[in-house]
Amino acid sequence: MLEVVGLNAGYGPVNVLEDVTIRVDEHAFFGLLGANNAGKSTLINALSGTVAARGGRIMFDGHDITGLGPEKVVELGIIQVPEGRLVFPQMSVIDNLMLGGYSKRARGQRRQRLDEVFDLFPRLAERRSQMAGTLSGGEQQMLAIGRGLAANPRVLMLDEPSLGLSPLFVQNIFKALSDLHKAGLTILVVEQNLHLTLSHATRCAVLERGRVVVEGAGDELRNDPNTRRAYLGL
Amino acid sequence: MKPEFFTLLRSPAIWLVLAFAATMPLWLPPYYLGIGVLTLIYIAMALSWNIVGGLGGQISLAHSLFLGVGAVFTSALLLKFGINMWVGMLISAALAAIMGVGIAWVDFRFKLGHLSFALITLAFAEIGELVVLGWDFLGGASGLYLPSDKGDLLAFQFGGAKGYFWLALVIAAGCFLVNFAIINSPLGYYLRAIRDNENAAQAVGVALLRNKAIAMAISAALTAIIGTAYARYVAFVDPYLFASPAVVIEVVLIATIGGLGTPFGPMVAALLLVPFGELIRGNFGGVAPGLHYLVYGVLIVVVILSMPRGLVPRIMDVMARRRAS
Repeated sequence: MLEVVGLNAGYGPVNVLEDVTIRVDEHAFFGLLGANNAGKSTLINALSGTVAARGGRIMFDGHDITGLGPEKVVELGIIQVPEGRLVFPQMSVIDNLMLGGYSKRARGQRRQRLDEVFDLFPRLAERRSQMAGTLSGGEQQMLAIGRGLAANPRVLMLDEPSLGLSPLFVQNIFKALSDLHKAGLTILVVEQNLHLTLSHATRCAVLERGRVVVEGAGDELRNDPNTRRAYLGL
Repeated sequence: MKPEFFTLLRSPAIWLVLAFAATMPLWLPPYYLGIGVLTLIYIAMALSWNIVGGLGGQISLAHSLFLGVGAVFTSALLLKFGINMWVGMLISAALAAIMGVGIAWVDFRFKLGHLSFALITLAFAEIGELVVLGWDFLGGASGLYLPSDKGDLLAFQFGGAKGYFWLALVIAAGCFLVNFAIINSPLGYYLRAIRDNENAAQAVGVALLRNKAIAMAISAALTAIIGTAYARYVAFVDPYLFASPAVVIEVVLIATIGGLGTPFGPMVAALLLVPFGELIRGNFGGVAPGLHYLVYGVLIVVVILSMPRGLVPRIMDVMARRRAS
């Protein structure tokens, strides 16, 4: 469904991604692994349209979406849950979720989506009128994911959802992602947490210094020496 | 539009306050009426700035350009080409809106941070002042004198302080209404999302440039209208007043002390600080000129240290806590 072909991207004089090719099939739970600086966030931002592609193509459902602005990408249902949670701290939980559902594609179903989010994360329902900035880190991550779901995604892309969370919350978040995946959502998750991702994802790719070095099913990658090398930098 | 907007319009308190304010020219002595006009003009300026600065979180110091366009350009059009001030006001409002969109584009194109945005808009403001000072068409350093006010409404003449008080009241109420409407509309949510976090706003599909540009255009057009009214009231278009960033910095201070982002913050702060500053100036201006600036300075330090979100949000917090306990 989402296909990246020979993508190059970077910032200023620095090229971060070099000739990256990956394919995320419909209903996949795709894990994008790699150490710091591997280019994972750049890739996800290029998909969202917030970083410009310098070469190559991004295809969605067979259409070329390279160079589309971020708000257009959102209208297609490619929704990013950004790194570091990035909720709107001075807005209430419910307003954060409502904003997630402001795109044209989601507006009609906002109520229904909201109920689904509250079913998935009952804790958000309890805190619906609290300011998002006063939530704990794990709750903010739930809110960021909920905000992404409110946008009625076809592909939900998460940038380091486990970052800075307690192991219990990390388990909860991945459990929720697995449930969403089982319900039919396509998920692309960028992670440093190797084992957790390998055990949940149906397919994974490992990025190393802006290139894809391994791609395959989770179990295959677990024992692949390239995975290890990409992580330990050997 | 959220229902809060209509609740406010139906609330009798707002209409009572407005009706009370409308009677003030009938019983206030002229000196205090003058202070009243000035206060309303500052309320209007603080509210229109609040759309960009408070809701959008972008500390624009370029608003002196818009004030200057409304005051200086409209007056120049009248004096040099005989263009009616009503028409001139609309031309200036449109011009200011276009300039505002241009500034929003610069901000978007170069991804300016908050500090860079403030500094660049300050640079624009300084350029604007230099243009006015150096261009005879706009009056240069000696300014422009408007023809005497004969109370001819068709020529944008409102007679004395009474007429200008009512004019300023209408403009201030209009700015309040626009603020409140924006806060309760999708645009208000987009702006707050951009203020809280631009990246996250983009991630949920908020179009940065479009929303920044719309906010800037509305804010700029309102500021230009205020500029025309203010200039016609004082009848002398002083470049050091209308084209200098000093007034806007004062407006930013007032809005910040009151609390950004709500329409009440800038309004309440202007209501308290402008008369206070004028009274200080009236009573101590001879011995200690500039004392009111010192008071503003001290106040802003105190407010930022003790209530970082401003006066009105703080009061609302305290009231909410009272109600809860």
